[in-house]
Amino acid sequence: MKPSYSLFSSKVLFTPLLLLLSFSLYSVSTNAADSEMDVNNIIAKANSVSYYNADDGKAQARMIIVDAQGNKQMRQFTILRKDQKELGDQNMLVIFSRPTDVEGTVFSVNKKINDDDDRWLYLPALDLVKRISAGDKRTSFVGSHFLYEDVSGRNPKEDTFTLVKTTDKYYVIKAIPNDPNSVEFAHYEIKIDKTTFLPVEVNYYNSNNENTRRMEVLKTKLIDGFTTVLHSKITQLSDGSYTEMQFRKVEYNLGFPDSIFSERSLRNPPKAWLQ
Amino acid sequence: MFYSRVLQLAITKPKWVYSVVIAMVILSLLMMPSLQIDTDPENMLSKEAPARVFHNQTKSNFLIKDMIVVGIVSNSNIFTPESLQVVDKLTHEILSIDGVIKEDLLSLSVVDNITQESSNITDSSASIIRFEYLMKQAPATLQASKNIQDAVQRLPMLKNTLVSGDNKAIAIYVPIKAKDLSYPIAEKIRAFTATYTTDLNFHITGLPIAEDQFGYEMFVQMGVAAPLAGLAIFALLWYFFRNIPLIIAPMIVAMATVIIIMGSLIGFGFTVHIMSSMIAIFLMPIAVVDSVHILSEFADRFKKGDNANDVVTQVMSHLYTPMLFTSVTSAVGFYSLILTPIPPVKIFGAFIGTGILLAFVLTITFIPAYISRLKPETLEKLQVAIIRLEAKGTLSSFLTKLGAFSVSKSKFILVTFVALFVVSIQGITRIEINDNPVNWFKSDHEIRIADKVLNEHFAGTYDAWLVFTNTKKTSEKSYEKFTQILSTISNESDEAKALQQFVKQWHKSPQQQAFFSQELLMLIDDLSFSIDEADQNRVEQLITLTDAEFNQSKVFLDPNLLAWMSTLQNELLQTELVGKVNGLTDIVKTVNRELNSGEASDFVIPQSANGVAQTLLQYQSSHRPQDLWHFVTKDYQQSLLWLQMTSGDNQHTTKVVNWVKQYIDKNPLPAGINYQWAGKSYLNIVWQDAMVNGMIDSLISSFVIVFLMMVLLFRSLKYGILAMLPLTFTITMIYGLIGWTGKAYDMPIAVLSALTLGLSIDFAIHFLQRVRELEKETQSLSAALTLMFNEPARAISRNAIVIAIGFTPLLLSPLMPYITVGVFLASIMALSALVTLVLLPTLMTLFSSESIAINSKKDN
Repeated sequence: MKPSYSLFSSKVLFTPLLLLLSFSLYSVSTNAADSEMDVNNIIAKANSVSYYNADDGKAQARMIIVDAQGNKQMRQFTILRKDQKELGDQNMLVIFSRPTDVEGTVFSVNKKINDDDDRWLYLPALDLVKRISAGDKRTSFVGSHFLYEDVSGRNPKEDTFTLVKTTDKYYVIKAIPNDPNSVEFAHYEIKIDKTTFLPVEVNYYNSNNENTRRMEVLKTKLIDGFTTVLHSKITQLSDGSYTEMQFRKVEYNLGFPDSIFSERSLRNPPKAWLQ
Repeated sequence: MFYSRVLQLAITKPKWVYSVVIAMVILSLLMMPSLQIDTDPENMLSKEAPARVFHNQTKSNFLIKDMIVVGIVSNSNIFTPESLQVVDKLTHEILSIDGVIKEDLLSLSVVDNITQESSNITDSSASIIRFEYLMKQAPATLQASKNIQDAVQRLPMLKNTLVSGDNKAIAIYVPIKAKDLSYPIAEKIRAFTATYTTDLNFHITGLPIAEDQFGYEMFVQMGVAAPLAGLAIFALLWYFFRNIPLIIAPMIVAMATVIIIMGSLIGFGFTVHIMSSMIAIFLMPIAVVDSVHILSEFADRFKKGDNANDVVTQVMSHLYTPMLFTSVTSAVGFYSLILTPIPPVKIFGAFIGTGILLAFVLTITFIPAYISRLKPETLEKLQVAIIRLEAKGTLSSFLTKLGAFSVSKSKFILVTFVALFVVSIQGITRIEINDNPVNWFKSDHEIRIADKVLNEHFAGTYDAWLVFTNTKKTSEKSYEKFTQILSTISNESDEAKALQQFVKQWHKSPQQQAFFSQELLMLIDDLSFSIDEADQNRVEQLITLTDAEFNQSKVFLDPNLLAWMSTLQNELLQTELVGKVNGLTDIVKTVNRELNSGEASDFVIPQSANGVAQTLLQYQSSHRPQDLWHFVTKDYQQSLLWLQMTSGDNQHTTKVVNWVKQYIDKNPLPAGINYQWAGKSYLNIVWQDAMVNGMIDSLISSFVIVFLMMVLLFRSLKYGILAMLPLTFTITMIYGLIGWTGKAYDMPIAVLSALTLGLSIDFAIHFLQRVRELEKETQSLSAALTLMFNEPARAISRNAIVIAIGFTPLLLSPLMPYITVGVFLASIMALSALVTLVLLPTLMTLFSSESIAINSKKDN
């Protein structure tokens, strides 16, 4: 099994993946678009290009969760990410700031390429540090329409890809899960930008071939030379409920020390780096 | 006189009458296809009724869907691999059905378990929390099955809801997109389960199922019972008159009345509800009655060689007034139902009342027109029928004896009636008001069986929601402070405009909604990214202020309030009136336990509101975060307790409601929090109360109107009182009987009270009218009464029989309300005819001047 749940998975990207893509996607080589590429090459290319560009990064995130009746909830958090090694292990902290009643709640992920990730949770009001089991990756991320796997990205080894078509701007790739029992969809279709290799839309289909869920990138920006997603959205098509995720104050290559990702620092988030 | 002109027109231009009737019937038939059935018991309350508005608001606030409940029941413990495989298979098959809201379906296969996991990582002291599907795949071993059973025991939200307390039954809750899909979906589920080879029993229930089934049975009732009533009446008429061409006339009047009334009901856009589905069967016998009078009298007077038109003119001038009065009084009885606050009952009353008047108009125009066109040979055959009718049969000899009895034993009869009246009044005081829409099905109906079985195993399939709401208003002071800070920010951005717009909007209708809300916070947050350095500090102040106020308003995170709710939940269970109470506290406590030791000692509410919020944030990291919002709204301004009850009796719900009221009187809610009820079980008691009170109004008013009409008709107070007495006795006795037998006073019985008044007065009108005429002719009351018990009494009895028999096809209905109506109307008609024939001669004899004269002679 792939280590799951990490917000910054190294192996992924074609999925909504967002958080990661959001501030690490690189605007890539132009020659790729022209040549006839093998589908796994596209996936691999997108994977490598989109992830390990900067050594670390930081962003402020705002999620707005909207239900079928239009009721809204907001979650705000800061993400800190550091790559241990190019295409290797990674550390990540998600520190909540709002709603104020969950302020200081921290998720921490130590992503390991060759092992299960270590995941922690700190709940300040209960003064509780808890480890989170490496269970199912397709649970909701704090009540939003983003699943942990959407946030962390899905391991390419779990799917089989076929190139459906190539348009002027996109590669359209169909992915079929190798283990249908592990997921709630039958297949999904990814639209990857030919120039940036950014997956800009992903549609999930159930066994009746109904489109049940959609991820869209709504806004990107080139920051320090990296194509960065600033706004994305996941919609549950059955009832029109959705979650929008926006990023601000994206910064790369800040030079985080390793110590801020330790279990001990859960209780004392690195204030200096959160400003 | 206006009518004589109409009559002349009818007789001389019968084709005109025919054309008008045919045109109306065709027009009405054209309306029929747009028929819409309405089986929702909620419609017993008007759309604006506060209880109903709140109920629907609650459903929408807490995202509550209509559910079909599938119960899977085993004779022994259901936690075996075989049984769980069936549950899992059925779940996935149901998930594949169109119209099922997949993400909200509740079944062991799709709900989450939250557990502790022992840590195998040596360098960390923290224990592990795990969210996973409770039954991702059906277990292969008995041990794995028992593990699921044990897991459910630790999940209060599921225990006794998804799995029965005796571990013999498992439920699947199937939310559906639209109520009218429930029947096809249930049929598909039945088709799936039919293919299984298993010992398990499957039961399907839930309100949408019951409603859909009810709609289907209503069609059956209308399609079968109404034509049967027509057939029964036709057979009876044939028995009385033995002249097919003649009795076709009243049948045409009845059919035309029913078609025109139903057509216009549909044409006006009204839905056919359980009440209005009975219109046809009510109108049919009532519409025939006036025709029977005309035909009897016509047959009586018509001699060979007579001009039919002359005879019919005589007959009509003679019968016009009593027929007008009986029709108007019957119509008043039904129209009085408009005074009830129950929309379907109002429509029922209005359309039958109008139908009766229409039948009267049709009778006095169509019947003479029809007779005027009959061939002389047909009319001659009438003589034969008349001879048969005049012949001394069982009925006539019985009536003669009855007449003699009521005159001679008048004192005994009076004493008996007074005694019966007293006993009946006592019976009325014992009447139990109760109803339960599930009991509208017969006890052997599959819905009743499913209801019974599932309520034996589970905590209850009847829902009521106790909704708590924060009523605290936005602080004016904080609002002032906010607008004051906002006014100092000079910014022309779209974000600033959006924020100003929000403030303006709120100011227009202040306190409609909370000012310091999630939405406001988002707007300020948006603004904070488009402002100059100079305004940064002020926007920070806005955020801090809004955040603080918004946070404070989230009352359902407050541990004290949650503790209060938790205590109420426990106390409610102690009463044993409810099977289970589900609430936000169960979620909070369960997650808190697993975040901490996993031991029962940690099954508590965290000590701070932030602790509660952080616990709930974890709950939302499961596969089903949406389940939280069935218990608390996203702004934490409302929370509900879901009560599961094993009985849907209104009396049961009333007990629970009263208990909660007393409890809250003694243990007040924190300031600013109020409570209100929602849920179908609660709506049922609301409309039942409205119905009982409304019926009293309608009964009293129709009594007064009919009485005044009687005084007017007879131009005598004495005769007015006499006319009212038989039906007063009859109704009192029938309701006394209901009290003594313990039959619950439910919807159909309530509706009957007012309308029987209008129907049973007819006998008294005809009786008194004829007696007065005969008394004038013979100059003697006793002679008049003797004559009365010949032809006139037979006519009254015939009409009573026609009406009573006309209602009996209701007994064949698969639905209880129809059966109740059939039984009661038939017996009220029969009884009131009998009471009229016994009581009126008795009273007239006792209080007449003639009898006083006889008595004084005896004294001498």
